[in-house]
Amino acid sequence: MADSLDEAQLAAWMRAACDGDGRAQARLLSGLAPRLRAYFRAKGRPPDQAEDLVQETLIAVHTKRALYDVGQPLLPWVLAIARFRLVDAWRREGRFGSPASLDDAPEEALSAEERAPAEASRDLAKLLRLLPEKQRRSIELVKLEERSVAEAAALSGWSESDVKVSAHRGLKALMRLAALGHGGTR
Amino acid sequence: MKTDDLIAALSRGVEPASRTELVRRAVLALVAGASLALGLLWLTLGIREDLLAAAVPVALKAAFAALATVGAGFAAVHLARPGGRASSLAAFAAVLVGGLAVAAISLAGLAPGERLGAWLGGGFPSCIVRIPLLSVPVALLLIRAWREAAPTRLALAGTAIGALAGGLAAIVYSLYCPIDSVAFVATWYGVGIGLSAAVGALLGTRLLRW
Repeated sequence: MADSLDEAQLAAWMRAACDGDGRAQARLLSGLAPRLRAYFRAKGRPPDQAEDLVQETLIAVHTKRALYDVGQPLLPWVLAIARFRLVDAWRREGRFGSPASLDDAPEEALSAEERAPAEASRDLAKLLRLLPEKQRRSIELVKLEERSVAEAAALSGWSESDVKVSAHRGLKALMRLAALGHGGTR
Repeated sequence: MKTDDLIAALSRGVEPASRTELVRRAVLALVAGASLALGLLWLTLGIREDLLAAAVPVALKAAFAALATVGAGFAAVHLARPGGRASSLAAFAAVLVGGLAVAAISLAGLAPGERLGAWLGGGFPSCIVRIPLLSVPVALLLIRAWREAAPTRLALAGTAIGALAGGLAAIVYSLYCPIDSVAFVATWYGVGIGLSAAVGALLGTRLLRW
């Protein structure tokens, strides 16, 4: 873990991402993913299901970032989301309660890194098809086809703010669908 | 979709985060909830007829409920964020406990024969049922707004939201409530708000998932 990123660096990228910096966002999420992967696997999730939770958590970090208080440390905030996603997955499987093993300190829980990603057990691209037309198209245009919001608006005929709001709502809906167990296993 | 592709997708077209959006939703839910509770009260029980003559006791009752509301509001805001802690409910709990202490002191100052009447208000204290009932629509509106935030301790967040809704309901209820005894209000308003908090905990664990 010689090249492990520290809290201050991640938090700095988060602040920049909250100001609309896409490159900082990519660095932040790439820095968090190996930690989250190691965390979920350490909690007993098989690699493919751990990858599902990594993806859910990354979407949540993005869609819930307005709630991040820039004065507070970032890793405990991320851990709280990760833990919540994990308990939610257990709940879907009919496991109740949150064992004491979840009460580990943020700096320890997210210290290990697992850099080799597994194939996720469900495919977000398939889930995307379940979204309403406007949300799906907005996500495809802006997030997958690398178009600017202005281009996406021109192509779709919706207003720019419509595209922005739909893409954001779509991401949240995508995470809800994922959390409800849609998307199936391969 | 591979995780790296997801990261690339999430990093395209990143907009600055809107911090005012959630505040706007919360304020809207509070204003709509309070108006709804007021409308419900007006339609069902009505407003007490001697409202102006009884302005001082009504204001005192509303002030006690407002203290609980502020304490609960503080906790609700704190618990809306990932990683919120149970200790944020301490101020709210302190208001309820303080109310019981005030009730005890007030009863101690009365003649033994008058105590039971002053405490129970001459019958069953129906506000412990009416305040939670009045708080349910408010709580549902607040839960809808809070789900957009990211509460991770759902039972605790639900408790705080229920307490907040109960406090608001109690402020509204004070416009009807004809009983002005200090011991009555300091005990049973607190119980009513506490029951609202319990209802909130039940609703929260089911409805706050995101």
